[in-house]
Amino acid sequence: MKVLSIGWINVHRALRDRTGLFFLVALPLMLVFVIGAAFGGATTPVVGVVGDAGALSAEPAVQVRNFPDESALRTAVEHGEISAGLVRTNGDTPRLLVRADRTGQQLRMLVTTSLTREANRIAAGEFVSAHTGLDRTTALSVVDSVRVAPVEVRVSTAGRVLFPEGYSGFDLGASNQLIVFTFLNALTTAAYLVETRRLGVTRRMLATPTSARVIVAGEALGRVAIALLQGLIVLVGSALLFGVRWGDPFGAAALLCAFALVSGGAGLLLGAVCRTQQQTTGAGILLGLSLAAFGGCMVPLEFFSPVLRKVAFATPHGWANDGFSTLTRRGGDLFTVAPHLAVLVGFAAVLFSLGAWTLRRAVTR
Amino acid sequence: MTVLSCSGLRRRFDDVVAVDDVSFTIAEGETYGLLGPNGAGKTTTISMITGVLERDAGEVFVDGIAMSTHAIAAKRLVGYVPQELALYPDLTGRENLRFFANLYGAGRERVDHVLDVVGLTERAGDLAREYSGGMKRRLNVAIGLLHEPRLLVLDEPTAGVDPQSRNQIIENVRELAAQGMAILYTTHYMEEAERLCDRVGVIDSGHLIAEGTRRELVERLGERDRISLLLDGDLGHATAVLGAIANVRGVAPHGQGLELVVDDARECLPAVLAAISTNGVVVRSVEVTEPNLETVFLHLTGKALRE
Repeated sequence: MKVLSIGWINVHRALRDRTGLFFLVALPLMLVFVIGAAFGGATTPVVGVVGDAGALSAEPAVQVRNFPDESALRTAVEHGEISAGLVRTNGDTPRLLVRADRTGQQLRMLVTTSLTREANRIAAGEFVSAHTGLDRTTALSVVDSVRVAPVEVRVSTAGRVLFPEGYSGFDLGASNQLIVFTFLNALTTAAYLVETRRLGVTRRMLATPTSARVIVAGEALGRVAIALLQGLIVLVGSALLFGVRWGDPFGAAALLCAFALVSGGAGLLLGAVCRTQQQTTGAGILLGLSLAAFGGCMVPLEFFSPVLRKVAFATPHGWANDGFSTLTRRGGDLFTVAPHLAVLVGFAAVLFSLGAWTLRRAVTR
Repeated sequence: MTVLSCSGLRRRFDDVVAVDDVSFTIAEGETYGLLGPNGAGKTTTISMITGVLERDAGEVFVDGIAMSTHAIAAKRLVGYVPQELALYPDLTGRENLRFFANLYGAGRERVDHVLDVVGLTERAGDLAREYSGGMKRRLNVAIGLLHEPRLLVLDEPTAGVDPQSRNQIIENVRELAAQGMAILYTTHYMEEAERLCDRVGVIDSGHLIAEGTRRELVERLGERDRISLLLDGDLGHATAVLGAIANVRGVAPHGQGLELVVDDARECLPAVLAAISTNGVVVRSVEVTEPNLETVFLHLTGKALRE
């Protein structure tokens, strides 16, 4: 009961801090949105068109936006407002402007296919009109009425895809932000623990009929609860707001809990070691961002050199990152991520032991 | 009945012996003042008594329960008001009290009661950081009262507070002592110690160098009350007359008058004035000086209390 009471007071204080709430709730979800939007979300790509959009208007996979002239169209493409622009003026050969990103290249294929299909339709209409004497419009209606069974193409993927079909920038950004902010906020909110010690509240707790073990356990629970809350905010928030898929729910829940334990342990250790709140915040940000970078939360682990990959798996972030990738990109489940869970729990055990020992020593000596 | 008994308390920090062989007792309803200059070992002693700090040697018994073997049971009987404002500034007064009530196992009704005792009921819903210094001190005291302790330990509870809050805290302490609570009190304010404490222990460099009531300490040091008289008339004759009065231990010239060393100035003064007036000497002014704890403290430690 006392452990819960001490743990709750930590969460209560974190929720009361308005600045802290911004970092706990708003910023992680904002970053999920920004990264998702920047690296390709699930939204329909936009093609700018000068002139007649033609068959493109009926394409379900693109959204057409009309532009008054080529100059405005080019500016929009160059500024990244749209990924491709089509110029179709009377009699001239259509010209396509595309950005050199993934969406631009997809639109290039899509627009070329659409224009080819449209040219084929007109050619078939001409053919029907020439051989039947029907006027052009009627001939095109005849062409449109012909239903051809689609050609069945069996597709199989060779090799290992980095990102599976339908995997969006939101999916990638969400798991990374979950790891970054769960750990980062557990470290920076350890400043509460330092403040509690500095104000003499921890020593005062020790003067109550409460053992040092219970006080340390309560403070540790508080750190884990804050980390877990942060993780849940990103997990549930990103799923509801951006449709992020987290894979097997049991695996995701287990990974979240294990990483919250690691983060809580690190927060406890930092809060026990540091003497001032400024030290805690500074060290927390430095450690949180460094480990996130080395753990593959800024750039996917697959892009790392072999040496850096080894470094990544020396951090809890690397294991958590790979665990979430296993769930969301490789169709893994609770059993597939069991090694990740075991390593993370190991990290947590070491950090908690060190943190508990240091904190107990700090308050009883 | 003895509520607190501590004997042979000793604590070393690296090479420095902060407290060495400190022993004293406090009875039910008694207020005991622990006085000493900064760094004398008061807070270390208090920390050992409240079980916050481990002892190198010695034992603390609260109502006969040993702190070393039954710390949790002993701590249930002790209320601790530390020198620092040990409360959460971002919680309300009531939330702070509820949190500590949980740790003490005290009921919620006690929260309302102590808020009333320290006069904070109307501001209970405000954040502690919005309180004035005096209100924070009162909240600090209130936390120590939550579980109706047998022994209340107050470490400089009035440091830096306004006169109104100081008076309230002192009145609270008096009432609690009158209800039978044993109180251990440290302060930098000598007048507080004189107003509140039944007995005083003087600690210096980790040692308890003197202990007793104010009068016992004063007498032990050979200090006596003094009466200074500014006179017109025959001073030689006045010296002879006054020297013959019982309880007057000495008469010496003092400026344009005389200074008398007496056993009890308040008891002696009417006789002195009567003797002077019947012998044709005119008294122009009278000044009575009673040796106080400050004098005792200065004598024992060679330092003023605030040093």
